[in-house]
Amino acid sequence: MSLIPLLPDADRHAAFTFRQGKAIDRETFHAHVMALAAALPEGQRVTNLCTDRYWFAVALFAAIARGMLTVLPNSAAPEHIAMVAAEQSGLLVLGDQAACPVEGLPYFRVDVLPQPAPPAATEMPLISFDQRIACMYTSGSTGTPMPHYKTFGRLRLAVLAGAERVWAAAGAPCSVVGTVPIRHMYGLESSVLLPILGGGRMSPQIPFFPADIAASLAEMPAPRLLVITPFHLRKLLEADIALPEIAVILSATAPLSAELAAQARQQLGCPVLEIYGSTETGQVATRETERESHWQTLQGITLEQRDDEFWAVGEVYETPQVLNDTLELFSPQRFRLVDRKANMINVAGKRSSLSFLNATLTGLPGVVDGVFCVPERSGNGEVERLAAFVVAPGLDRARILAGLRQHIDSVFLPRHVVFVETLPRDGNGKILARTLQDLIVQHLPKRD
Amino acid sequence: MEQATAPDLALEREIAGHIVTALNFDIAPEDIVPEAPLYGDALGIDSIDILEIALVMSKQYGVQMKADSEDNSTIFASLRALASYIREHRSK
Repeated sequence: MSLIPLLPDADRHAAFTFRQGKAIDRETFHAHVMALAAALPEGQRVTNLCTDRYWFAVALFAAIARGMLTVLPNSAAPEHIAMVAAEQSGLLVLGDQAACPVEGLPYFRVDVLPQPAPPAATEMPLISFDQRIACMYTSGSTGTPMPHYKTFGRLRLAVLAGAERVWAAAGAPCSVVGTVPIRHMYGLESSVLLPILGGGRMSPQIPFFPADIAASLAEMPAPRLLVITPFHLRKLLEADIALPEIAVILSATAPLSAELAAQARQQLGCPVLEIYGSTETGQVATRETERESHWQTLQGITLEQRDDEFWAVGEVYETPQVLNDTLELFSPQRFRLVDRKANMINVAGKRSSLSFLNATLTGLPGVVDGVFCVPERSGNGEVERLAAFVVAPGLDRARILAGLRQHIDSVFLPRHVVFVETLPRDGNGKILARTLQDLIVQHLPKRD
Repeated sequence: MEQATAPDLALEREIAGHIVTALNFDIAPEDIVPEAPLYGDALGIDSIDILEIALVMSKQYGVQMKADSEDNSTIFASLRALASYIREHRSK
């Protein structure tokens, strides 16, 4: 079994983060991790609800050092946390708040330990490649979020492969400033693990407003990497405020238009790298959206087509992971996205999944079968509207809509409800993407 | 938020108009109740919308919202609270 040092070999006195103008070096980060690891009570699982990225990182690596699994809920909604706690028995909450941010769970505050002595360089825990360090939950209102376990060695390989790509675009390891949630896969990989394992510097801030983003960037030395979403990037550009020099921008979670990427280069003078990935797969591929329509997978990840499905394969996965999207593969490492986010949909900024909507539809009394679809997708993230094919003798459109309205947000209600006699499901009970496309062409009005 | 002075109804109406336009709401500005929470069920405003509103406030009134300057849950508690904050901090 292969063992890997918890933290990479790096200059102990290299600045790792900055707080109120003061540098915190790698040695101090290591010391905080070891001190917290020694102080944590017995247990197998923790959840890390720190609001500051530095303390989040200290708590994450202390838990890894202790062999504890860190459970990362995808929302702070009390009902989600309660569900996670019920599923993950003996959960201890780690946080940097004065009081436990959730009710009914034991709490351990991580940011108030006495200033630790510098650790000896030899005091570096060795972590098994296969140690499960994080449990992520799939995002989106799927109704039932599913846990996905990440192992130390594999997550590290994926992060290093990402670092190779991102640092090459920036010309050197960067100071990383992220506006994205640290408990989601994108934020965890790109704003937390990338600077720690990839030898960069990490901002402790999670800025939200444009002026906050400018301040967080200014606090960190160049070269700088900004980890952001397309929506947030657009708002940042629209605010048109002075920003410190940025080397590269990373974008993920929703499609980035070439137009927005071009605007970012024009205004900020830096390229935007777009990441393709998911909670299940982590980061899979990147492209420089302004000038590339094709994606290139990260080192060590290849893609395979099996029947109508596409799978990500490589040492970074315990088992191959199925993708939610339809691809056109040019090689195992190079592809075009044909149908992006076939399962996850985004209407007016609200997210749901087709599987959740389909389950809701087919669960309505009187509905024999049914399927939602997205008849057309606009290029730059404008509002998408849904349609549904329904087998429901005896029900009309109004009844279907009234039934759905009780369970789903009104933005997801289908604009078109097409009644059919049966749905063409294959031997596995699935409706293939191209079959659905045929139905759309046959039944739905074409907009030009 | 405490109201030191009487609410500026005209400014409230004007900001309500900006919000309805920015968020492409299918309601009239006067349908936003000044004392009602902006977050939550009535309007369904989320953090993404808050960013949108902040952008409009900076364009219209020269107010740059910052997370650490004030408690944003207070500023965005209601239309009235937002209008009162804008009146205090506007530079145009």
